[in-house]
Amino acid sequence: MRFIDLLRLILDNLGRRKGRVMLTAIGVVIGTASVILLISLAIGLQKSATSNLWGISDLRRVDVYPGYSEAPVMMEVGRSSGKGDVPPGMKILTPQTIEDIKALPGVTLVTPKQGIYGQAVLKSGRLENYPWIQGVDLDDIGVFEYPMQGGVTTLERGQAIIGGWVAQQFYDPKQRPGQDPPAQPDVLGQTLRLVLTKWTQDGVMINKTVNIKIVGIMSQAQAEQDSVMFVRLDELTAWNEWMMGSRINYNRDGYNQLVVRAEDPDQATEIADAITNMGYQASTSQSVVQGINSFFIVLQVVFGGIGAISLLVAAIGIANTMAMAILERTREIGLMKAVGATNKDVLSIFLGEAAGIGFIGGIGGVIIGWGGSLLLNMVASTFMPSNPYGGTQLATSTPGWLPLFALVFATLVGIISGLYPSLRAATLVPVNALKYE
Amino acid sequence: MTIFIQIRDLRKTYVMGKSTVHALDGIDLDIIPGSFTVVMGPSGSGKSTLLHLIGGLDRPTSGSIVVDGEPLEKMDENQLAEYRRKMVGFIFQSFNLVATMNAAENVGFPMRFARTTNRERRTRSMELLKRVGLDDRALHKPTELSGGQQQRVAIARSLVNQPKIILADEPTGNLDTASGYGIMQLLSVLHKAGHTVIVVTHDPRMQHFSTHIIYLLDGRIVSEAEYQAASTFDFAETSEGETTHES
Repeated sequence: MRFIDLLRLILDNLGRRKGRVMLTAIGVVIGTASVILLISLAIGLQKSATSNLWGISDLRRVDVYPGYSEAPVMMEVGRSSGKGDVPPGMKILTPQTIEDIKALPGVTLVTPKQGIYGQAVLKSGRLENYPWIQGVDLDDIGVFEYPMQGGVTTLERGQAIIGGWVAQQFYDPKQRPGQDPPAQPDVLGQTLRLVLTKWTQDGVMINKTVNIKIVGIMSQAQAEQDSVMFVRLDELTAWNEWMMGSRINYNRDGYNQLVVRAEDPDQATEIADAITNMGYQASTSQSVVQGINSFFIVLQVVFGGIGAISLLVAAIGIANTMAMAILERTREIGLMKAVGATNKDVLSIFLGEAAGIGFIGGIGGVIIGWGGSLLLNMVASTFMPSNPYGGTQLATSTPGWLPLFALVFATLVGIISGLYPSLRAATLVPVNALKYE
Repeated sequence: MTIFIQIRDLRKTYVMGKSTVHALDGIDLDIIPGSFTVVMGPSGSGKSTLLHLIGGLDRPTSGSIVVDGEPLEKMDENQLAEYRRKMVGFIFQSFNLVATMNAAENVGFPMRFARTTNRERRTRSMELLKRVGLDDRALHKPTELSGGQQQRVAIARSLVNQPKIILADEPTGNLDTASGYGIMQLLSVLHKAGHTVIVVTHDPRMQHFSTHIIYLLDGRIVSEAEYQAASTFDFAETSEGETTHES
């Protein structure tokens, strides 16, 4: 039998039972559409998550924290200090650590980042704010590459750069319930009061007020810098010393965190590994991205699997339709054989019909799945907040291979479902088929 | 004389539950090329089974059928399919036309399995429809044709691959007297054109067109005398039964 004759016969046969073919194909349409839509959703979520992550965090950056590992400790720890004991076995971040990390190949910058040891409230008139105060040993925070809403990135003593969220979080402590929140002050370029608070051993509260000028405001990015107020490390150290009532020696007490930058993003993971080997904790956006990617691959498989369940139901539908068709057309099969069709011809015809149902359903599913994916994106772009870093804000993402894969898969589902009924048809004894009532 | 179809000790047994039915019980038969053989016999005598075995639609339990020097029992499924495609044309009592195809498509249907082109198929179908007098009905579906016309389409279909043997199983069984007679004449024309025709029938008129007549009873070939005696015996027994009942 020529392929073109086979194809014509299959199309004729499918055309003879349009209603039933369409009803069976609807199952495949739903299955294929859900496979495409769910996988697109998983890929879209992955892209959205990773692009946002890449936006908020610099791929060249490695964050280093004190080590708690069992690795050999290189320096003596565990003596008493103003801020409390350093736990035994903890590997602290010292100025020497900075030098050690700077010596690693590919490292361009190592700078400490330090938090405040007590309570500090930022005041603008009667309005108050509790920013997350971070001391940095930098003249210019531009190296962090945070986008700025306004002002400058250079930082001097008596100055601060605040996050976009901090700039919007001034509140009135005397506000009564039901009262409208106060209008947010424009603090850029303003000198505000920072009130530091400590308690004596007798429980007496002592306040210290310092004036601080807001020289820059960072853009909001739904990230850590939103709630930060950057100040100079030497200034913060002085405040911490006032709070603790003792001198701070970073060689002894260590820094909270070090920020390391690699020359090239590809080196970030290597540097992080090297720092980890030195006994500290190091994390990079790269490793986070990798972790997120592997999570989303699992999500894609799970989503694809859920879609595949509907395809499985559709496959049972195809098998049932083909089994019914073969019962109804038993005499026709007998006739085919009587006029010289081989078992292979009969098998090809019925498998072709089953594949045809899968293919038709697959086409419908691709159209609906792809269309649904585009529709979801339109809805998402209308309702989801825009990303200041220009990361993709898509709900779904349908790669070119997915519809093609889904179409092939749907056709394969058709073939596999039609296999048993078609084999039964092919192996019918002609005379029995002709006598079938 | 050349033997075209040689049948030796042909047996076909069906096992139905615990009982065994011998549909054919040792048939020996020689059919010469270009003959018109009519197989007569009551229902259950095995005549259709014989036709199916000659046509390669079923396999015998034992015995042999040699057609044109080729033993059918040695053929595999593909070879049997090729034999049916090239050597045999079937005509059935219930026509077996595909309801969704028109007359011309039905006639050309066997050619789809014979690697022929569309054009060849159309030309040949029209030629054959003309030969059976239905060229003006080429585009009609089977439901738009009378029984006699449907059987003519089936006859045209049986000829489409130019087979040497025409096997007809009760071809007039579903037709009225006049249409049935027309089909007999058509089969006679095919015989005269050189086809070897074997017809299984109950219709005694078919004998007028035949060159050979075979009588089957309980799966065996019997003489005309035995066949007539059996028929008469059946009748007498029934009459006797009825008489007894009345008295």
